[in-house]
Amino acid sequence: MEFLVASFASALRLIASLAPDLVDAVGTSLSVSAGATVFATVFGIPLGLVVGLCDFPLKRAAVTILNSLIAVPTVVVGLLVYGFLSRQGPLGSLGLLFTPSAIVIGGTLLASPIVANYAMASARGADPRILPTAVTLGAGPLRAAGALVAEIRFGILAAVIAGFGRVVSEVGVAMMLGGNIRGYTRTMTTAIALETSKGEFAFGMALGIVLMLVALGVNVFLSVLQRK
Amino acid sequence: MYRLRGIRMRYGTRTVLAIDDLSIAAGRLYTLAGPNGAGKSTLLAILAFLSPPTEGEVYYAGARVDWARGSVRDRRLKVTLLHQSPYLFGGTVRANVAFGLKARGIAGDAQRRSVARALEAVGLGEFGDRKARELSGGEAQRVAMARALALEPEVLLLDEPLANIDRETAALLESVIASLPARGTTVVMTTHDPDHPARLNGASIVLEGGRVVRPSP
Repeated sequence: MEFLVASFASALRLIASLAPDLVDAVGTSLSVSAGATVFATVFGIPLGLVVGLCDFPLKRAAVTILNSLIAVPTVVVGLLVYGFLSRQGPLGSLGLLFTPSAIVIGGTLLASPIVANYAMASARGADPRILPTAVTLGAGPLRAAGALVAEIRFGILAAVIAGFGRVVSEVGVAMMLGGNIRGYTRTMTTAIALETSKGEFAFGMALGIVLMLVALGVNVFLSVLQRK
Repeated sequence: MYRLRGIRMRYGTRTVLAIDDLSIAAGRLYTLAGPNGAGKSTLLAILAFLSPPTEGEVYYAGARVDWARGSVRDRRLKVTLLHQSPYLFGGTVRANVAFGLKARGIAGDAQRRSVARALEAVGLGEFGDRKARELSGGEAQRVAMARALALEPEVLLLDEPLANIDRETAALLESVIASLPARGTTVVMTTHDPDHPARLNGASIVLEGGRVVRPSP
């Protein structure tokens, strides 16, 4: 117990002193997670809305696939993207492996199914009168879709936040595609794994606290928006 | 305003609407009566250009309706359907009433004037800044009516607009509806009240089993 208390105290000191390695890892984590979330939102929201609202052949299969993609292990996504981005891979010439961009690509693939599923659930749970009302008032397809998104905005926001939460907290993709390069691709989660294995438990704990605070902050932000 | 010829609407093998010939004149008020399942809402959806019939031809203002997407949307801008339990969007009453105007590219002063006029017509002139979701059922129904009136449609289709509201609100909306034909608006309104045709000075269409059993005079 003493070990834990001492580590916790050291962790707080590290956070208070804004240790450069800690700040770097937090900055990298937040930037790649934000990038991946933006792309996942761009792909995932329209995909979720289309699958949720439109009738098309094989819709049930599409829903099943979308649901299943949530459960794909991060290391499998990492492995797949690694295959594409490695020197021998089809996109190897782009030189993206072990860069923040590679983590963004992997994070996008991880978060998109989550964002799409949340958006799909929100669209399916929306009041069925929204679209007919918009259409009878003369809205075209885009304006009607905009009206629907505005009405289910909290569900959409939850989708975005869930996507962000998935990317910021994962370790497999960041490790395999980023390479855990100090000051460049080292994220909070890969730093925690590395520092803890090196015996720097306090440093790992400091990053863990920041990670928890980020998650808490995101949820508080969502709650505040919902109350408005 | 409308002519329907050989209209059939089928869901699977079930025929829910079978109208051989029906005319609806411009600038008149029609009540559409019939038991539940008679096809009233289906007919309104066709008149609102929301669902094409399985078979048959619809003529609007003398021209045959082409149900292709772009073409039918132009028609929809001239016809407004008010549902029995209308949906109000989140936000203010004003934003709700302005929704259809925005869809028609009407903005600025013209939009403000139309919204104010429509709200005045239903006795909610002071309600513009109120949150739509905080209104009573009767008030919400009046806002939905104002939202339809603001568009000044050629045709106003009303699906039991006077059901589930208090007598005072019903009387107010009745007088608003009754005044519309004089302004050139064609009104088709479903109702279960047998007194409505006489009270609203309207013609009566009665549907049973998807067929017109009492044609418009």
